[in-house]
Amino acid sequence: MTSAFSWIEVDETAKEALVRILTERPFVVLPPPLHRLPLRVGNVVEIVGPSPSAKTLILIQAAISCILPKEWKGVQYGGLERSVLFIDLDCRFDVLSLSKALKRRIHGANGVRSSMKGTENEYDKELFVECMKRFSYTRCYNSFEFLATLKTLHYRLQKEKDKQSSTVYMLMIDSIGAFYWMDRALPSSSSGSNSRKNLSLQTVAETVVKEIQRVLLVHPMLVLAAKSASFGDKQSKSEVIRNSGQRSDDKMLDSRGPRNLSHREYMPLAWQSFVSHRILLRASDGESKHQNHPTFSTEWLLPSVQFSDNFIVNDDGVVVIF
Amino acid sequence: MVEMAPLQALEREYPLIDSNFRGFCASRHIFTVEDFLVHDLHALEAFAEQHYAPDKLKQGISQIFSIIDSQHRPWLHGLELLEDAEQNKCILSAGWESIDVLLQGGLREGHVTELVGPSSSGKTQVCLQAAAHVARNYSGTVMYFDSGNSFSPKRIAEFLSQSSDPANTQVNKTVQRVMRSIVCHSIFDIFTLLDLLHQLINNFKSQMGSRIRLLVIDSLSSLIAPVLGGGGTHGHALMVTAGFLLKELAHEHNLCILVTNHVVGGEGGVSKPALGESWKSTPHVRLLMSRYGATNGSSCVSILKHPYLATGKTMEIKII
Repeated sequence: MTSAFSWIEVDETAKEALVRILTERPFVVLPPPLHRLPLRVGNVVEIVGPSPSAKTLILIQAAISCILPKEWKGVQYGGLERSVLFIDLDCRFDVLSLSKALKRRIHGANGVRSSMKGTENEYDKELFVECMKRFSYTRCYNSFEFLATLKTLHYRLQKEKDKQSSTVYMLMIDSIGAFYWMDRALPSSSSGSNSRKNLSLQTVAETVVKEIQRVLLVHPMLVLAAKSASFGDKQSKSEVIRNSGQRSDDKMLDSRGPRNLSHREYMPLAWQSFVSHRILLRASDGESKHQNHPTFSTEWLLPSVQFSDNFIVNDDGVVVIF
Repeated sequence: MVEMAPLQALEREYPLIDSNFRGFCASRHIFTVEDFLVHDLHALEAFAEQHYAPDKLKQGISQIFSIIDSQHRPWLHGLELLEDAEQNKCILSAGWESIDVLLQGGLREGHVTELVGPSSSGKTQVCLQAAAHVARNYSGTVMYFDSGNSFSPKRIAEFLSQSSDPANTQVNKTVQRVMRSIVCHSIFDIFTLLDLLHQLINNFKSQMGSRIRLLVIDSLSSLIAPVLGGGGTHGHALMVTAGFLLKELAHEHNLCILVTNHVVGGEGGVSKPALGESWKSTPHVRLLMSRYGATNGSSCVSILKHPYLATGKTMEIKII
């Protein structure tokens, strides 16, 4: 009898639940320009922007904040000390850009002390090695490899879990939509049977979302995905009109005013509705060059937030300007 | 692209994929390994439970899992990546001082470097000199894909004699050695290009032929531009496929790739690269070349995009 009663007893109050969730899945603030909204595991953040708009750099900066420890040998780094999985679909990632930025961050946090000692180019090698080991990377040259990677992702996550105490916190995809044109040209219906699930832009996107969702259930992670966007491209605009069959999103975006008219959504609906946060990057118009660096502006499309930041890219990475 | 391997072909290597298992898969409309990729394998496992012999089927499914696991590239951590970059990805001098200074050493193996610029801004000259220089100073061969009959052995010989003492009797020997290690292919359409790229990848995999250090494609845009336009998707698919083949060659086989992209008149008289928005995500490094002043043979080269160097820096380049 008691066991039956215990089954309907209160497990926890709402307050307890909130405290538990906030400790289990705390909010984190990522480096700019993603700093405006607190994010947490389970969120899917899409960073949309033309090429070049520092998308990969933003991912790298976020990864560095994740792999750095909070504190190391008495120096504050303010990191999460967790691992990152980076799936490179653009196949353009250069590890030197990561190692250079990481050294710079370590050096910067030590700044005051090392400049007093006069060791300019010294950085903590041991810490560097620890951090680099928390960064896992793979690349895919087509959707088949991407799907194979996702389908076996839980092996990799389990391995990370067994190997070290720090579990994976972020899953990065750079960039979703890299195989858009290849997938669209996939031969449709190779055999007679109608019920056979064909590889197509739709089914690939659906499977990608399904596999990530499944992995997130067991291994909660924050997903960051870059996506390249083209602006004012006549040909691509006509593309949208022809293919806008099931894209309610297009109209919504278009109605946001002339500034947004040229931002087009091309990923299938399955992916669009998977995204929980979307930030748009664009090159600032005119000669608003800031100390000879091109400037970019941000706009949160999802959730729609009013404020917009301007940032430049220099040797220190992404720097917000006012 | 990956060919669709029917399950039957796997039975010899993996006995678990027997006719019984294949029959079960066929009942779920799965005929190839690629079909598995878009299928929910957990749902498939649940379905196998209802079968009269679930254990055998589940073994088959986990076999499929391990086959899929072998079809993606390995996961590497940051230090392994760094080691690969330091040991296998050398920097090759391009033979132009200004480009070497601009790129902090030269062209990097593993990178696809693109030269974009109007005609007679010196793209072909940069390519020919780079080919001559790499063939002369590094071991291995140079592949030169020529789409406009612009490959000139005479020019290469000139470059070689410029960089050495003309009185030296060794010049002739050097020229002969360099010429032997440059392999030129004339290509006039994208299908031949894709064939050759596939062939190169296969040669690398079976380790046939000598080591290739540099692949030059002059001009890549004239091969791709004809299949674009008309609003069709097929041209874009061919272009992106070529781009990914180049990146695979460059990264997996430590090849340095140099391609050229011409410019065309765009809206409002502003010229733009022939390969535009959808191509932008392909090259690692983009260099803009433009004619400079009225003097003959002077051009400017500047960085439009680089993974870790700042953009915008400009250098003068003298083509004699």
